[in-house]
Amino acid sequence: MSENILIELQGLTKRYGYGDTESFALKDFDLTIKRGEFIMIMGPSGCGKTTLLNIIGLLDRASKGKYILNGENVASISARRQAKLRAKKIGFVFQNFNLIEDLPVIDNVALPLVYTGYSKTAQLKAASNALKRFHLNEREYYLPYQLSGGQQQRVAIARAIVGDPEIILADEPTGNLDSRASHIVMEELKAIHGEGNTIIMVTHNPSLTSYATRVINMLDGQIDTDVKTVSDANLPQPISVKIKKKKKAEEPEFVEISTQKTEKSDKKEEKTQKRKKSRRKK
Amino acid sequence: MALLLKTHYKLARSAIKENRTRSLLTGLGIAIGVASIILILSLMGSISNLIKEQTKEIGADLIVVRPNSSKDNITSIVEEFTAANSFQKSSLAIDDVTAIKKVKNVSAAAPIAISTNTVDSEKNNFESVPILGTNRDFIKIEPLALRYGAFLTEENEENSVVLGHTLSLALFNTVNSTVGKTVTIMGEKFMIVGVLDEVDRSINFDNVDFDNALIMDIKSLDKITGSTQIQQINVKAANTDSLETISNDIQDALINQKLGDKNFSVSYGDEITHPASNLFNIVSGMLAIVAAISLVVGGIGVMNIMLVSVAERTHEIGIRKAVGASSRNILMQFLFEALILCIFGGILGLVLGYILAFLLSVITPFAPYISWEIIAITFLTTVGIGIIFGIYPALKAATKNPIDSLKHYR
Repeated sequence: MSENILIELQGLTKRYGYGDTESFALKDFDLTIKRGEFIMIMGPSGCGKTTLLNIIGLLDRASKGKYILNGENVASISARRQAKLRAKKIGFVFQNFNLIEDLPVIDNVALPLVYTGYSKTAQLKAASNALKRFHLNEREYYLPYQLSGGQQQRVAIARAIVGDPEIILADEPTGNLDSRASHIVMEELKAIHGEGNTIIMVTHNPSLTSYATRVINMLDGQIDTDVKTVSDANLPQPISVKIKKKKKAEEPEFVEISTQKTEKSDKKEEKTQKRKKSRRKK
Repeated sequence: MALLLKTHYKLARSAIKENRTRSLLTGLGIAIGVASIILILSLMGSISNLIKEQTKEIGADLIVVRPNSSKDNITSIVEEFTAANSFQKSSLAIDDVTAIKKVKNVSAAAPIAISTNTVDSEKNNFESVPILGTNRDFIKIEPLALRYGAFLTEENEENSVVLGHTLSLALFNTVNSTVGKTVTIMGEKFMIVGVLDEVDRSINFDNVDFDNALIMDIKSLDKITGSTQIQQINVKAANTDSLETISNDIQDALINQKLGDKNFSVSYGDEITHPASNLFNIVSGMLAIVAAISLVVGGIGVMNIMLVSVAERTHEIGIRKAVGASSRNILMQFLFEALILCIFGGILGLVLGYILAFLLSVITPFAPYISWEIIAITFLTTVGIGIIFGIYPALKAATKNPIDSLKHYR
């Protein structure tokens, strides 16, 4: 299933400093990620995990090597389109939550939608739905500091999934949480993964690897071990295209503004629908 | 796009609200600059309005001849400013008045020459009294009313003077029994034949304060001062239909008279609306420069505060970039904030400027002058200031590295 390849990294190198101070965060790093994988990246501090995540998330550029996202070489994508891709295809979850302190929770969640052309009402609606999913709908107008760490991280995850991205990048999402809150957050990520999203997560906590379908151990900017616990064929996949088109007519406010309406955007819609169904069940 | 602009506007508004005191002070900097511009524009507008009204009162048949048509450019204004007035030679002479009178359809022509001198009555003695040298046609052109006596006539124009209302009070402590008395100027005795009614119009297109002036025949003035500088010649046309033809005729006649010298201007109607004095231009020019400087200072304040705001919100910029804001989005967000600060300051300045203009109108004859041009100029200026001084901080915000920004905490 070669068309199922989402991310392809070839000979990726990230160098910091020059001459005597030269050091490599990543060195000739090769990795192929398929749709629907839940990857946990582990390794000692400074082995390049966060750098890898930043490069995958289009926040950083490699010094050398090739990064192919959805069959497209990232080096040839303009900075503006990269920003668009970050808004639509990629969701970030950080260790320190990174919520904007001056904005209420609901506006924080709606943040990615601000840059993708949603109307204000659609933004709030989508953000509200995302919060409901994490049982935070009663705290929509709280400010981040009024929430506990676990709640803040769930808000951050809600922000990451609000635009229905394909890839969720989580940089030690449980690093600042106690074990109970960690467990809740991981269950949420698991549920998101179950809907067909690809999750790449960096962690220090070996007990969390049970959630992953693939565990990568990194050492000095290279892969040390790479273990798949679920076969590629059993990875959760987004549902097929047919159901979609009906949905579009019903919910015109969710129609994308970009002129390129590809199959991918269709798939997204489908996910939304699926999510709503699961909510109803709850 | 429009949607995004609305978002930027809302973001900027909430950011400004959050730092209320800081924004208010920054806005105040802009407001002071804008207020001074408004004040100057309102003042200039009200002065030309005053003069427009006067020319309307005088009638539509007025034509004014002024020396030095090149006076409009900056070098001549600077020249005027630096050169002592007494050394200046007007390009108009008494003979020109005679030439103008001969032009077809001209019913009257009166020169205006101002000289200051000491005027001595038996009781009082005043230095630097403005003396207006003209001829007996003057009263036909200007609607000056006499309280007592008569204006200069053919019989008495030599050695006769007419006093302004205030001057009469100052010299003789009275206005009613002044006629018939004499004043001494440069050793010459002059008989007072008339006293003007109160005019109370110190700003006018003649640039003469009639209440304080002494009026005499220009030939007598020439005799006692040795030389007279004609600052303008007022001409009354016989009919109002052909002012253009008449003014062209005057032009031709003068060029003929002065052997081709074109160093004068002939104007009528609305063209007369600026005061004859270049001092007015100089003062308003200086005020405009001061206002521009204060606006620039206000703009620097905006830039300063925007730089602080960008530094404070580095973390937020990192988050926004991580969730999909492009550099352009960030640029617009901060540019909008600077713009709104400036426009807020501009509105504050508009109000402040008109309050000042109103206060000024209480003690001076200048009524506050409001026009859409002034408001448009204010708006464009503040937007310009906002863009000029907001672009650098906004660019700084836009080019921040998202990874470093995310590590940045308050």
